[in-house]
Amino acid sequence: MADEVEQPPTTNTVEEPLDLIRLSLDERIYVKMRNDRELRGRLHAYDQHLNMILGDVEETVTTVEIDEETYEELYKSTKRNIPMLFVRGDGVVLVAPPLRVG
Amino acid sequence: MESEAGGSAPSGAVASSLRERTIAENSMVILLQGLQGQETTVDLRNECAARGRVVSVDAFMNIRLEDVLYRDRRGQSTRLQDLFVTGRNVRYVHIPDHVDIMKTMQNQLAQIHRVRNFAGGKKEFSKKN
Repeated sequence: MADEVEQPPTTNTVEEPLDLIRLSLDERIYVKMRNDRELRGRLHAYDQHLNMILGDVEETVTTVEIDEETYEELYKSTKRNIPMLFVRGDGVVLVAPPLRVG
Repeated sequence: MESEAGGSAPSGAVASSLRERTIAENSMVILLQGLQGQETTVDLRNECAARGRVVSVDAFMNIRLEDVLYRDRRGQSTRLQDLFVTGRNVRYVHIPDHVDIMKTMQNQLAQIHRVRNFAGGKKEFSKKN
């Protein structure tokens, strides 16, 4: 959770799924979003709606194009970098540690 | 819907309903409320982006912007004097580099607490230790 001044100190035990996200605070995470979007960034803050603040974010948007003649699917991805981003929680599908390739 | 916060606080005014203040106090919307007066980009769910000065943000993330450059999904830009975005249609809000996130949130929370204490014991519940 974001460190709000008035709240009691947070416990160290994992009691509910949101606590798992708390473990990732200040770490780099992978966020899968709706509409074929993915974010990779450093988690600075989050709340119960999964609204999040991510720093040093790379957003990947994946689109599929169908070739008219061969009907094969061409997957294209567009990336962009944003220094500090507030993400509205209703777009978030999943939150995980960054994927390791291979 | 907004009431004037007392003094020369750099952050924004606080909502006048207790319900909105409580919702804001318990979620990250409080940071967006602290961005009032700043120029930011709001990415919308419809793949469009609006860049302008934040006039106000309410507890439901409804955002009012002024002096807006609205870029649609095709890249075409339109200048708008005023833009109201429904909270549901917000995908991202770009936080300007110079904003200190912790300070902004603490500032906004302090404003809410100031209003709560000012309203006094009769109207609102105050934390008693």
